[in-house]
Amino acid sequence: MTGLREPAALRPQDAEASADAVNVAATAPANASAPAGEPAARGGEESAPGPPENARAETAEVDGGWPADKSKEEAAPKTARARRRARDRRRVGGKLTLNRLVRTTAFRFTFLYVLVFAVAVSALGAFFYNSTFAVVDRQTDEIINQDLVVLADVFRNDGPGTLRRVLRERAAWRDDGVYIMIASPSGAVLAGNLTALPEEALGADEGFFDFSYERAAIDAAGRSVGEETRRGRGKLRRFQASPQSDSSFLVFVARDITSHEDLRERSQEQITRIGAATIGLGLLIGLVSSRSLLNRVEAVNRTARAIRQGDLSRRIKLTGSEDELDHLSANLNVMLDQIERLMSGMREVSDNIAHDLRSPLTRIRARLNDALKADHQQKDEALRATLRDAEGMIVTFNELLSIARIESGEGAGAMEPLDIVSLAEEMAELYEPAVQDAGFKLVRRLRPCPTVLGSRPLIGQALANMLDNALKYAEGGGTISIEAAPSPDGRIVLAVADDGPGIPKAERSSVLKRFVRLERSRTSEGSGLGLSLVAAVARAHRAALRLSDAKRSAESGERPGLRISLVFSAAEDLG
Amino acid sequence: MRILLIEDDADAAAHLAKNLRDAGHVVDHAVDGEVGANMAGAGDYDAYVIDRMLPKLDGISILNRRREAGDETPALFLSALGEVDDRVKGFKAGGDDYLVKPYAFPELLARVEALGKRRAAPANVTTRYEVGDLEIDVLTRTARRAGRKIELQPREFRLLEYLMRHADQVVTRTMLLENVWEYHFDPQTNVIDVHVSRLRAKIDKDFDKPLLKTIRGAGYTITEAD
Repeated sequence: MTGLREPAALRPQDAEASADAVNVAATAPANASAPAGEPAARGGEESAPGPPENARAETAEVDGGWPADKSKEEAAPKTARARRRARDRRRVGGKLTLNRLVRTTAFRFTFLYVLVFAVAVSALGAFFYNSTFAVVDRQTDEIINQDLVVLADVFRNDGPGTLRRVLRERAAWRDDGVYIMIASPSGAVLAGNLTALPEEALGADEGFFDFSYERAAIDAAGRSVGEETRRGRGKLRRFQASPQSDSSFLVFVARDITSHEDLRERSQEQITRIGAATIGLGLLIGLVSSRSLLNRVEAVNRTARAIRQGDLSRRIKLTGSEDELDHLSANLNVMLDQIERLMSGMREVSDNIAHDLRSPLTRIRARLNDALKADHQQKDEALRATLRDAEGMIVTFNELLSIARIESGEGAGAMEPLDIVSLAEEMAELYEPAVQDAGFKLVRRLRPCPTVLGSRPLIGQALANMLDNALKYAEGGGTISIEAAPSPDGRIVLAVADDGPGIPKAERSSVLKRFVRLERSRTSEGSGLGLSLVAAVARAHRAALRLSDAKRSAESGERPGLRISLVFSAAEDLG
Repeated sequence: MRILLIEDDADAAAHLAKNLRDAGHVVDHAVDGEVGANMAGAGDYDAYVIDRMLPKLDGISILNRRREAGDETPALFLSALGEVDDRVKGFKAGGDDYLVKPYAFPELLARVEALGKRRAAPANVTTRYEVGDLEIDVLTRTARRAGRKIELQPREFRLLEYLMRHADQVVTRTMLLENVWEYHFDPQTNVIDVHVSRLRAKIDKDFDKPLLKTIRGAGYTITEAD
């Protein structure tokens, strides 16, 4: 578990700042305000708190103390969690050992497959083997039986002399026939190409039996080249001259089966060899495929380890094969994106809280300190000022929490098909008097739009913030327009435009960051969170947030105005 | 009003109870969910103010039990969880209102008093409301003052109707935004005030006695009293 820790890479997020209109991609966090070079914030190893714990801690704080017994309940599962974590840690690491290979799912599947395949092949082999050689055996037996029938005929019709002659002739043929005729009880060999009855005949009665015998080996040219052991199969038959007679003749008829026995053995060997090769190859393929699978899983594990060690920017590399592992990896990557976004959101919230609440807190402390030593009237004044500060802090705090919760996807449950136009009309109706009182004219530019999948409260609040923004900053302007219209590419644009001073291109991306108010607006009221909330709502809806000049081609000296637009996809396009 | 306050934060509860008592209400305080559920079962209250996160028994469960027992006492949830989903959960459990911490006391007071009023005038369907010589008819959607018809936009009528329903009570800006426009957020600009002052121009301008009054630091009220 070493060596994977890298300094947290903060991605450049402000690259678009120079573009004509600032596009905040729906997924990328628009707020890159967290200063680089703070790996500690995300670098903590095991101690880095998971987002849910973080969120709970925050809630508890707001609530003024997490109930004591609840935290006790939490304590018990924590030890179990620690044990589980230790066990998981043992499992996640490690090199590609044979032991691990053999234990992979892929290998187990292959092994099972090979096993089933081997059983099937052996069964098939046994079947072919038996049927083939059993047929040959039966044919041999048939020939012998027929021989014996013919010989029996000869003996019955023409007597032993003719039988002896026939057998001599048969024996002289150079075929597979093996014969011997023995007179009984004298034991004299009368005919045949065997010198004696084979030993195996002693135990056999009338049935077939296999035996081996010696025979002169003959080479291709017909010359005798010593002796060879051959195998045969045959049947013994006793021919009785007459029922009364003592003398009889033993006739042994057999066939030489050496060649097909050889074939049988060779086939056996071959089948065994092929079987072994099949199983071996199967296992090898299994090992290789599990290895490649394991390698890919290991890549996922490596990423997970790196992330656990604090590098949240790591992602699983896709192979491009679009197989199930790639899909899984892609899904995990999306999840990791979301986690990273949440983490950075959380971190940013705490940074921001620290940033924006520290100064009023410091101010309050100083003021209260002074008030302790002051007279009654000054004390009252200090209390009132403190109250104002506290109220300001509450507003800021609520807005920060809203933004954080929107960004954590909390409003996602409330997504419904929305008619943006009627929502815009409602907001126009709500704001019209205030807009008029501020000396502006409210212009509605509403055209029928396709339905948008969204959260009415969130989009309503975003639109309200956009209108608030125009009211606050479009000083000197004459009209504020609220627009909802389909765009040529089938998306839906919800926009608020004014003819105020606008925002210079270079400053556009920064106003979306939290707490940023442009220098000239420092004096006016506001937490500086209004547009950050709009950006958060945009991200929650995967909508694009664009800031641009309200007037396309403002002549020099003319005020360009500001146009803030939310660009939504139509509900049906989101599937 | 008799109010049962179920809140485990001792400081916050003491502050809240004191202020509610100062406003003329009787307050009982329960320190955890179980005590609260028992007290709610035993006493006859006009309203419950329940913290959502409590030791032993959380706020939602308490209210679920009360509603199962047939207790219709209006309840207001106090919570640090203020997003849409949380609100929906609160209302599903039978809550009548939902206030997110940290809140300003006048906001809480206004809402609790609105709940009490709801109980005092239960479901008997009133279609007419009167404050002094100002009267509205919800069915015909007409408003008259001293017998003279006042022309109102639909939204102005809803605004007036809400104020009239809660006559003699303080109604806050967020209450108006929630009940008249059905949005839950704190507007950063004076949108609500402008609507109210336009309404005021229509109902009060031509008459000697103003009825729609601004309560500093809290909101508005419609009342005959000075």
